[in-house]
Amino acid sequence: MSSTGIRLEHVSKRFEHTAKGEVYAVRDVNLTVAPGELLTLLGPSGCGKSTTLRMIAGFEEPDEGIISIEGRDVTRVLPNKRGIGFVFQNYALFPHLSIFENVAYGLKVQGRPDAEIIRSVTEVLELVGLAKYERQQPHQLSGGEQQRVALARAVVFHPKVLLFDEPLSNLDAKLRVEMREQIRALQKRIGITTVYVTHDQEEAMAISDRIAVMDRGQVAQEGSAEDLYFRPATEFVARFIGRANLVPGRVMSSGDVEVAGVRLALPTDRPIGSTLQLVIRPEMIDLAPGRPGDPETGRVLQRTFLGEKTDYEVLIGETKLQTCRNDAFRAASFDVGDIVTVHFDIHHVHLLAEEQS
Amino acid sequence: MMRAASAVKRRRVASDPTLLVTVLILWVLLALFVLLPLGQLILQAFLDEGRFTLAPLLEVLADPTHRASFFNSLFLGASVGGFGTALGFLFAITAVRGGLARHWLTFLDAVVLLPLVSPPFTTSISIVFSFGPTGFISHDLLGLANVSPYGYWSTALAETLTYFPIAYLTLRPILAAIDPNLEEMAFSLGGSRWQVFRTVTLPLAVPGFANAFLLLFAASLADFATPLILAGNAFPVLPTQAYLQITGMFDFKGGAVLSLVLLVPAAAVFLLQRYWVGRRTYVTVTGKIGQRSRSKAISRFATVLLTAACFLVATTIVYFYGLLVFASFVVAFGANDTFTWNHYRVIFSEGLPAIRDTLIIAGIGMPLGGFYGVLVGYLIARRRFFSRQAMEIVAMINYALPGTIVGIGYLIAFNDPPIALTGGALIIIACYVFRYSPTGIRATVALLQQIDRSIEEASSSLGASSGQTFHRVTLPLIAPAFFAGLGIVFIRSMTAISATIFLVSLSWTLITVRILENMTELALGPAAAFSVFVVVAVFVVISLLSAVLARLRAPTASAAARSLLGG
Repeated sequence: MSSTGIRLEHVSKRFEHTAKGEVYAVRDVNLTVAPGELLTLLGPSGCGKSTTLRMIAGFEEPDEGIISIEGRDVTRVLPNKRGIGFVFQNYALFPHLSIFENVAYGLKVQGRPDAEIIRSVTEVLELVGLAKYERQQPHQLSGGEQQRVALARAVVFHPKVLLFDEPLSNLDAKLRVEMREQIRALQKRIGITTVYVTHDQEEAMAISDRIAVMDRGQVAQEGSAEDLYFRPATEFVARFIGRANLVPGRVMSSGDVEVAGVRLALPTDRPIGSTLQLVIRPEMIDLAPGRPGDPETGRVLQRTFLGEKTDYEVLIGETKLQTCRNDAFRAASFDVGDIVTVHFDIHHVHLLAEEQS
Repeated sequence: MMRAASAVKRRRVASDPTLLVTVLILWVLLALFVLLPLGQLILQAFLDEGRFTLAPLLEVLADPTHRASFFNSLFLGASVGGFGTALGFLFAITAVRGGLARHWLTFLDAVVLLPLVSPPFTTSISIVFSFGPTGFISHDLLGLANVSPYGYWSTALAETLTYFPIAYLTLRPILAAIDPNLEEMAFSLGGSRWQVFRTVTLPLAVPGFANAFLLLFAASLADFATPLILAGNAFPVLPTQAYLQITGMFDFKGGAVLSLVLLVPAAAVFLLQRYWVGRRTYVTVTGKIGQRSRSKAISRFATVLLTAACFLVATTIVYFYGLLVFASFVVAFGANDTFTWNHYRVIFSEGLPAIRDTLIIAGIGMPLGGFYGVLVGYLIARRRFFSRQAMEIVAMINYALPGTIVGIGYLIAFNDPPIALTGGALIIIACYVFRYSPTGIRATVALLQQIDRSIEEASSSLGASSGQTFHRVTLPLIAPAFFAGLGIVFIRSMTAISATIFLVSLSWTLITVRILENMTELALGPAAAFSVFVVVAVFVVISLLSAVLARLRAPTASAAARSLLGG
């Protein structure tokens, strides 16, 4: 096995837009996926994640850059010569073939002997728990079952890489959680290099070894779920991964930052006088009753009880802060209009340089 | 919308020589069999010794008979549009809201579809049998003498009965899409049944009415066979006038001009239907559709009335076909009702060449038309190449034009060297293929639009080459469209006459043309026997194709089966 699974170097893809002329769908993307690793491309619709995946599959050809799989340059290689398993959002099962024939398709077109086909297909259908459906037609199965067939079909011929394009978007919430655990378990078990595309941050965090957040055709940040949550590199990542209060500040010295007239002891190497943003996660903040007239207190603007947690919106000076705390089985709860003080550990605050856009 | 950058697109087309060659061949064929005849027709009409002239047109318009035939055509078209839409609506509302048992619905559907698959004269012949001087109804039942079955009323009646199924097929899905809850909600607001019907149901169906009216108007305008039999001298219409100008007076120029006069309202109606009404036909229903229980929007009394009216019309159709069968088995209808096999003996001896020719032409035209339809449909729906949209339009032209125009165009274009095809079978086959395969094209495009591109990509990702993908995935999925295309070309080869009557010769003739000759010679028995033969042959082929479609496991087959009957 080669030391790299998938590598993208300076890959770009342009589209012709009827109004805007040529626009980049993907711009200068560099990515490396280690063998056996599951990398997720995460981003909102139109960020270029699906186009990137489709270029790895060979359904789209990049205008610039090189794509290699296990060390072999496949940039101009047709999809059927790349050794990929692809799982589509809409399952894309062959409607005229039975479940068995669907899963057997790849082996059949590759001319494998019948005995091997029967053995492999039976085995993989058992693996996804659908052995008893092999004679059914795709439309007789539920969405989740169809996607499991698609998964079986993609892995049965031992592809080099596995590619998922929003495979769970058409399923309901509960099934999504179940299916993503199944996909992750299967991927780990066969140790296959995988790229997974989704717009759902929770799904990405649950399933991935590593996540690449994409924004407007470029990779905004790459890293583990913890990296992205605790140390977002851009405002976009901070807002896309979890929720965030972004509060503007100004560097007063290397040891403190002024925020809304208050000096906070935050070490930074940014030049003195430059502006930056504080990333304060709602979960970091706790509330306590405040005394009216005290300058550092705020007022509760909104309260939303959500069971496991309660969301508050608090106005301090001219800054609105989103907070979130577990109220359900605690004595202290607050109502709209209550005067409160906010508390958070200064060490948890992440500083973000102001973006030049 | 975005589309792939042009550089990549160019590279892909250039790297696919098969696509390039296929597109080129198709364009040569389309130029030869669609553009050339139409162009020649226009040149013939407006060019005199190399100069453009309006003189022939003015001459034609100056002739009072021609002028009358123009207005007669419009009047007939409007009448058939009105009557046919009303009748179609009657059947559609009964089918959707009448609460009929399933087997009665099947019966109504079967009866309604009968005229769509029959040779064009069946209703006309039956009307002559019923209302002629020795007619079953006029003479035997009512005791009237000297009744003429010819003229406006009989033509309008025959065309209405022949074409109202189009209105039914257009209106039924629209009415079915109107949520009964909507009507019930209007009820709950205190509207009376009539108010609800007038203010809710009818307005929602208005685009459907307009669409049905225009489709029927166009069908009547282009209809050649019915007026030829029934209109008579008192009620000339454009298609028959153009035909008589050419076959009676050998005046090609006059025929060409007359057929072009027909083109003006035909084109207007086609454009109106396609780009204005056609796009508004779908009722958008928001929210959850209520339980499809029987709507209370129509009172019990009205339901009974509607159902009775439907069965009356259905009975009339069945009676007409029964009369045809009866007439084919008696010595001389109305005069001598003794049973005889003689008419069938005649059509299988003297008439055998026509049957043989028709079956040979249909047999060759079927696979060609089916293949052509699937190929063009596939290219239009799935491939990107220069001139794709132009091809889509040009491929539809002969389908949209009245048959008379197509026939006269072919006659003018292929009468002389370098491309002298008249008199042969090839010209008739080409006429059918390019005139009736567009149904197959539409069916293929519709099927491919249902099949997501990802299915072909899935095949490719699993290691299948583009050839393997086409063979193992695309082809099985569009097979229903192929068989539908086969069926349409066969049905039309057996039943069409308007274009091909200009193209038959001593060596190659058609059953429909023989029926017409029999009618003019008053050999009504053989005409009836031929008609029965055609209906049976069409029925057998449709049953076979339906059986094939049912065996295909593709989920798209049922849609194709519908287009087979609807087209």
